[in-house]
Amino acid sequence: MSVTRVTATRTLCNIRRPLLACALRSYVSASRGKASQHMPPGSELAGKSNLTPRIHERLQHLRTRYADLNARMSGDVSDLGREELAKVSKDFSDTGQIVIPYNRLLELYGELTELQQMIDESKDQSLRTLALEERQVALEDVAATERQIINGLLPKDQAESGGAILEIRAGTGGDEASLFSGELLRMYERHSQLRGWKFNTISSLEEGDRVKEATIEVSGRGVFGALMFESGVHRVQRVPATETQGRIHTSTVTVAVLPQATDVHIEVRESDLRIDVFRASGKGGQHVNTTDSAVRITHLPTGLAVENQQERSQLRNKEKAMQILRARLYDMERQKLDKERRDSRNRLIGTGDRSEKCRTYNFAQSRVTDHRINLSLYDLEGIMSGVSLQHIIDRLRIQHDLDELADMS
Amino acid sequence: MPRCPSNNTLLPLLRKLSESLGEQQAKNELRWLIEHARKEIADGINIQQRILAQSTEHRLARLWREQPARSTDEIEREGDRLSSVQRTWLRQAVADRTERHKPLQYIIGEQKFGMANIIVRPPVLIPRWETEEWMLRLAELINTHTTNAREASATIPKPLNILEACTGSGCIALGLGCELADDSARILGVDVSADAMELAMDNLAFNQMLLSNQVQFHRADLQQAVHLLPTQLPVGEGGWDMLVSNPPYVTPSEYRELDADVREWEDIRALVPLPPGTADPQHVSEKDMDPSGMAFVEQLAKLAKELGLAGESQRDDKALHMGSLPRLVVEIGSTQQAQSACQIMHDHGFSATEVWKDMAGADRVVLGFFKQ
Repeated sequence: MSVTRVTATRTLCNIRRPLLACALRSYVSASRGKASQHMPPGSELAGKSNLTPRIHERLQHLRTRYADLNARMSGDVSDLGREELAKVSKDFSDTGQIVIPYNRLLELYGELTELQQMIDESKDQSLRTLALEERQVALEDVAATERQIINGLLPKDQAESGGAILEIRAGTGGDEASLFSGELLRMYERHSQLRGWKFNTISSLEEGDRVKEATIEVSGRGVFGALMFESGVHRVQRVPATETQGRIHTSTVTVAVLPQATDVHIEVRESDLRIDVFRASGKGGQHVNTTDSAVRITHLPTGLAVENQQERSQLRNKEKAMQILRARLYDMERQKLDKERRDSRNRLIGTGDRSEKCRTYNFAQSRVTDHRINLSLYDLEGIMSGVSLQHIIDRLRIQHDLDELADMS
Repeated sequence: MPRCPSNNTLLPLLRKLSESLGEQQAKNELRWLIEHARKEIADGINIQQRILAQSTEHRLARLWREQPARSTDEIEREGDRLSSVQRTWLRQAVADRTERHKPLQYIIGEQKFGMANIIVRPPVLIPRWETEEWMLRLAELINTHTTNAREASATIPKPLNILEACTGSGCIALGLGCELADDSARILGVDVSADAMELAMDNLAFNQMLLSNQVQFHRADLQQAVHLLPTQLPVGEGGWDMLVSNPPYVTPSEYRELDADVREWEDIRALVPLPPGTADPQHVSEKDMDPSGMAFVEQLAKLAKELGLAGESQRDDKALHMGSLPRLVVEIGSTQQAQSACQIMHDHGFSATEVWKDMAGADRVVLGFFKQ
C-alpha cells in the first residue's frame, strides 16, 4: 500500500513541476510583448525552442511555396516540359520534407493552447490531471517534430553518410600518452562494434598496450557523420601507472577523423607519386617469393606519405595506401573549403581542427568533459567502454546542427 | 584435454619466426597464419579437401566475404580463442616455415591474383605480385580496345584467341579470364608439367563462377620443334591473336644464389630454362643450361612467328586495331634480359617492342607488336 502511495506522490510532483515552469514561461513570454511577431500562436507554450523567429519566418515562406507547388502539380501539367516537371516535382517533395512536419508542429501548438486553457480554467481535478498528462505527450511530440524540421532544413553533406579513416597519435606525455592512446583506440573499437561498423586497423605503431600511432578504417553507414566531432586534442588527467610519487599528470592524444573519399573524385597524377616497395633492391619476379609486401606511397607536391602492409598482396596494399592517400588529400581540400566557409563565425564545435582541445578525461573524478559543449559526464568507465560515447556524440550532433541552423537564418 | 600452459602462448612462435624473418615480417606472417587457422582449420580439414567438399554456393559466398584483418596487438587475445587443432596446425606451420623454409603461400594454400583466388601447392610456381601487376595492366589495355571496337562497329568483334605458355597454376589465364570484358577472349593455358596441369584444372573449377571468358588448359611440351606445335594445340576459330607467358628466366648462376624457400620448394622447370627433352630436371648439369636464361623466350618468339603473330593479323574486323595490341607478351628478370628479348622479337619479325616496369621500378615484361 505504502509503495503505491509513494509512486502516486512522485507522479504528481513530476506533473506539477513542468506546470510551474510553464506558467513562469508564459508569464515571461507575455511580458516580452510583441518582440516576436513571426512566432506562431501557441509556440510560447512549447518551452525552450530551437526555432528562432527568423526560422519561423523562413518556414512560413516555405509553407506558401509548398501550397503554390501543390496547386501547380494538381493542376494542368501538360504545358510543362519533361525536365521542368521533374524539377517541380523534386522541389515539391523536398519542400514537403520540411513543410509537412511544420504543419504538424503548428497543429501541436494549437493543441497546446487548448490544453493550457483547460488547465487554467478547469475546476475539476481529474480533468486537470488528464490535461497535464496530455500536454506532456504533446511537448515530447513538439521536440521530435522540431528535430525533423531542423534535419530537413540543414544542408546534406555527402561525406557524412560514408565511412571514415581514424588516426590516433600520442601527443605530449611520453609513455603515459601512448598508453592512453591505446585506451582510446579500444574505446573506438568497442563503440564501432556496438554500432555494427567494420573496424579495420590499417597500420599501427605499438608496443604492448602502448600505441604511438594508429590508422583505422571504419566503414558502415553514417560513420563520418558520427565520428567527425572526435577530431581534436583529447586530454587525460590521472596518476600514470609509471608514476611513483602519486602525482597527477596531464597528457594528450591527437585524434583526426577523415571522411573516406570513395564517391568523390580526387585527381592524383601518377607522376606526383613516388612508390617504394619492400625489397625493391633485389631482382624480384621469379627470384624471390615476397610475403612481406609493405608499400609506401609519397605524394610529392604535398609531402604526404602513406604506408601499408596489412594484406598478403602487394597490389592490394598499394590500393589501400592509395585509398588512404586520397582520403587525406580529400580532407585537406575539405578543410580548406570549410575554413573559407566558416572563418567569419564563432562556433562552439570546430570542424576537425587538430590543434583544438576538445575533451578531458579526468580519472580522479571519474569525469569526462567535452569543452566544446561544456558537457561533463561522471561516467568515465561507461565512456571508455564505448557505450556512453554515444551520449556525447548525440549532444555534439545537436549542437552542431543548431550552429549550422543559426548560420542559415 | 589437458594442456600445458606454456604451450598456449603464441609468443614463442613469434620469437621463432622473428629469428629467421625479422620482427616486422614475422608479426605479419603470424597474423596471416592465425587468420588462416581461424578460417580454415576449425575442424582439422585442410583447404583442398574442403574445396572439394564445398557446394558451389558455399564456395562463392566465401570468395566474396572479405574478412577484416586483425591488428597485431590482438595476436595474444586471439590465440586464446584458437582450438587445440588450430594450435597444433599453427605450431606445425611455424616449424615448416622456419626449419624447412616452406613458403607461406604453400602453407596457407591460396593466393589472390587479380580477381581470381589461386590455389597453390608445391612444386608449382607461386604467383608473384609483379606478374599480377602486368596481367592487370594488360587486361586494362585489351579492355580499352574491345570497348572502343564495340562502339565503333555495329557488329560485336569475335573474341580474341589468347595462348598462355607455361601457365603453371593457371594464374595468368584465369586472371585474364576474370578481368577481361564478357566474352571478349578465349584463353588456352599450356604447360609441360603434370603437377601444374592438375593444379590449373583445380583452379579452373575453383574460379568457375568468377570467370567472364572461356578458359581451357592443355598439357603440351612447347620446347619441341616449333613446326610441330600448331598441330598439337586445339586451335580456336580464326587462329591465334596473342601469346602471353611467364617463362622460366632465372640464369643457372642466379639459381644457385636463390633463397631456400624458392630453390627447395618450387619446380626448377618453372624457374630455369632447361635443355629440350630433359628427362630428369633435378640433375641437369649447369654446363648444359643456357647461361643467359633467354632460351625459352627465344623459343616463344619462334612459336609466335610460326603461329603467324609476327605478321599482319588475319582477323577481318579492323575495328580492333590489332596493330596497337601486343601480339607477344613475355615476362623477364632484368634490364639486360629486356634488351635481349627486344632484340629476339625484332629478329623474329616483330616491328615494335615495348618494356613495362613493375612497381619496384625494375624492367618486368616485354611486349612485341606488329605495326604496318
